[in-house]
Amino acid sequence: MTAQTLSEKLPTTPPTAPRASDRWWHRLLDRRFLPVAGTVATLILLLVGGQLRYSTDDRSFISMRLFSNLFIDNSYLLVLAIGMTFVIISGGIDLSVGGVVALVGLVIAKLLENGAPLPFVLVVGVLVGTTMGALIGVMVQYFRIQPFIASLAGLFLARGLANLLGKTAIAIKDEGFASLASWKLKFGERPDIWYINLSMIIAFVVLLIAVYLLHYTRFGRTVYGLGSGDGGQAAGLMGLKPGATKMWVYVISGTCAGIGGLLFAFYTKSGYNLSGVGMELDAIASVVIGGAVLTGGAGFVLGTFAGVSVYGLILVICNREGLEIWWNRILIGAILLGFVLLQRVLVARRR
Amino acid sequence: MSQTSASAPVVEMRGITIEFPGVRALDGVDLTLRPGEVHALMGENGAGKSTMIKALTGVYQIDAGTIRVDGAEHRFHGTAQAQVAGISTVYQEVNLCANLSVAENVMLGHEVRVGPFINWPATRRKAREHLALLNLDIDPSSQLGSHSIAVQQLCSIARAMVVQAKVLILDEPTSSLDKAEVAELFTVIRSLRDQGVAILFVSHFLEQVYEISDRMTILRNGKFVGEHLTRELPRLELISQMLGRAGDELAAIEAGAQRVAREDDESRTPLMTALGLGRNGSIEPVDLELFAGEIVGFAGLLGSGRTELARLLYGADKSDSGTLSYAGEPIRSAAPLASLKSGVAYSTEDRKKEGIIADLTVRENIALAIQANRGAWRRIPAKELDEVVARYMTALNVQPPNPNMLIRNLSGGNQQKVLLARWLATSPKLMILDEPTRGIDIGAKAEIQRLVVELAAQGLSVVFISSELEEVLRLSHRLVVLRDRQKIDELANGPEVTSSTVLEIIAASTTEHEEGAA
Repeated sequence: MTAQTLSEKLPTTPPTAPRASDRWWHRLLDRRFLPVAGTVATLILLLVGGQLRYSTDDRSFISMRLFSNLFIDNSYLLVLAIGMTFVIISGGIDLSVGGVVALVGLVIAKLLENGAPLPFVLVVGVLVGTTMGALIGVMVQYFRIQPFIASLAGLFLARGLANLLGKTAIAIKDEGFASLASWKLKFGERPDIWYINLSMIIAFVVLLIAVYLLHYTRFGRTVYGLGSGDGGQAAGLMGLKPGATKMWVYVISGTCAGIGGLLFAFYTKSGYNLSGVGMELDAIASVVIGGAVLTGGAGFVLGTFAGVSVYGLILVICNREGLEIWWNRILIGAILLGFVLLQRVLVARRR
Repeated sequence: MSQTSASAPVVEMRGITIEFPGVRALDGVDLTLRPGEVHALMGENGAGKSTMIKALTGVYQIDAGTIRVDGAEHRFHGTAQAQVAGISTVYQEVNLCANLSVAENVMLGHEVRVGPFINWPATRRKAREHLALLNLDIDPSSQLGSHSIAVQQLCSIARAMVVQAKVLILDEPTSSLDKAEVAELFTVIRSLRDQGVAILFVSHFLEQVYEISDRMTILRNGKFVGEHLTRELPRLELISQMLGRAGDELAAIEAGAQRVAREDDESRTPLMTALGLGRNGSIEPVDLELFAGEIVGFAGLLGSGRTELARLLYGADKSDSGTLSYAGEPIRSAAPLASLKSGVAYSTEDRKKEGIIADLTVRENIALAIQANRGAWRRIPAKELDEVVARYMTALNVQPPNPNMLIRNLSGGNQQKVLLARWLATSPKLMILDEPTRGIDIGAKAEIQRLVVELAAQGLSVVFISSELEEVLRLSHRLVVLRDRQKIDELANGPEVTSSTVLEIIAASTTEHEEGAA
């Protein structure tokens, strides 16, 4: 112990010269990056496996088409998971997002049915999520309620409100909305045609903003500080603002749920009180598969991106294999378990 | 060696008064810090040192008095304001985020920016420069938690220096450092002092205070006692000022604890016997006998297996070899609750984490072990509990004598007394005390030592563990010497046994073991 710390302190090299431990492969084995490295490895494994099994002479499994479909089908989940990443890194949890997706869908459907102008409806839809997040944030930060309970209350409230708005699926017939939902850019030649639609663009913009917020601002570092295991005390002593940050984290997650609800409405072109049941759990699973630690303090936005990709790819592969829908769940469950075990091992090594 | 003379004070605190509900924590205290000087803040636990620091760093609001920094009066509302005024603090427990990188911890709040973005490469480079000033060459992008406490502590000093602190407060910075690391820290402190930083140093280790400080301010019971140049204040005088007792009275307490006498009786039967008791990776098999009325000291360096052995005896860890018997009965699988019921109590090393429950009152903390002993569902009559609590609080002189106070508001020494009360209330036959005097002041320490001797005189068997060898030697009837997770010797204590005897034993059998010789 002593010898090691002393040698650490000995100025063996000029301070500015790069050292062995600065190299990227050393960092890869760092505890913080190892789970994400695991996610990327899983992703590559799935891609290579799929390539070997499903590629034919004239058609490669790995193609722009695959990725395009992946994010057309999962853009709403990506946005939800990005919001969840903030909450989980701060050491909290947000169980309300599935309910918020249903509520937002119904709010949009109802408003459009009653002839409200489209831009207004879109903004209100997202703000419903923001409000919900702010509510949970206030409960967590100012009334010191456990995030689990506060967001569970949020989930029940959102579902309850959704049921008040309508108990059957309401199809959205507004023309403007339909044209936004089906707008897409076409790329490539047959048979490899692929698209970029509005949902994808929105999801990627959210992704970029999230990377900026979490990795390039003091706010982002405070989110990590909140998850360091002391409830943000150290962050506070360092002159950061853990209290306000904790609140904002839930506002961000709520806003993402609002946007996710909007994207889900684009995807299904309807509002339905029973949509999004369990979707919060899918989001949490994607975040954890993406390398964030459930106790907080570690994780990356791009890790979550990889996590959602893994989630989506498993769906694709199950489809290709003609497996029943429940196989998705089993596989996701197994992978999730693997990642949680990996986290345990890393935490145990720290002790 | 330093400019103790004319330089204008950088911090002047005058008549600082802070009241908590029911307690006046500080009562008109003065403190003056001068640039280029190491100033020690001395006092027993509960004297108000921490409160004073928190007043200066803006954690607590002052009720009366003035704080001047560089001549200008300040009222701090929060640590951020104090930091802006140039006051930085390195707390007792490293208060950084272990999950963030070294660079982030050092630079956060002062990152290098490009527009709205943090420029991480430049931030890391700057962090490396600041670390290099402290002779610390570590990878700024490595995780803070992966470094030793000593390095983390230096990182938090580096952080303080990033803000160009004029005043650096070090609150018990050495409590978890080994000797070499302390020397390293002192080098850094001296170089900062020579750069003109005013340093406020708080430590329980008198040796260190005398080694590093130029001047000291002494507090007692929240009041200002005096300010002295360190070199003009003899130790005994300092201690008597801290305790408010005459020096000879203090010597009497120490002497009172020195009664080391035991009749050797060959026919005694041991209370607890361990034969080849061991646990893989934790401690090599050990033979040990513990007798009633005897204090057995575990001597050894940090990490020698003292705590590990204690945990095995109590059943906090499961042994994987050997046997343990208690009062003639073999114990098949030791477990804390069973041990407790049969009269074994274990006061843990880490008071904060494994001892007190901070959010409960003193009364509830004492009640815990009795409750566990009786079964969780059996109600303890309030009256009986009050009696027990009152009895032990008086016997152990817990200050303040209010059973309904939250234990986290007590000083370290008094928390320790409450813990002792908790275990004594279960009327144990064997008591394992792991570092019972760590981080508490001399007065409380002497009281606890005296108590241990008294308990043994009443027929209790005591296992006493402390990293202060002198203390172990003073109290124990018998010594068990441990090194490298092995019991290497056992000897009867006596006047001829000194700390160098024990150190020689530790150093003897291996030559390459350098720490033992130190």
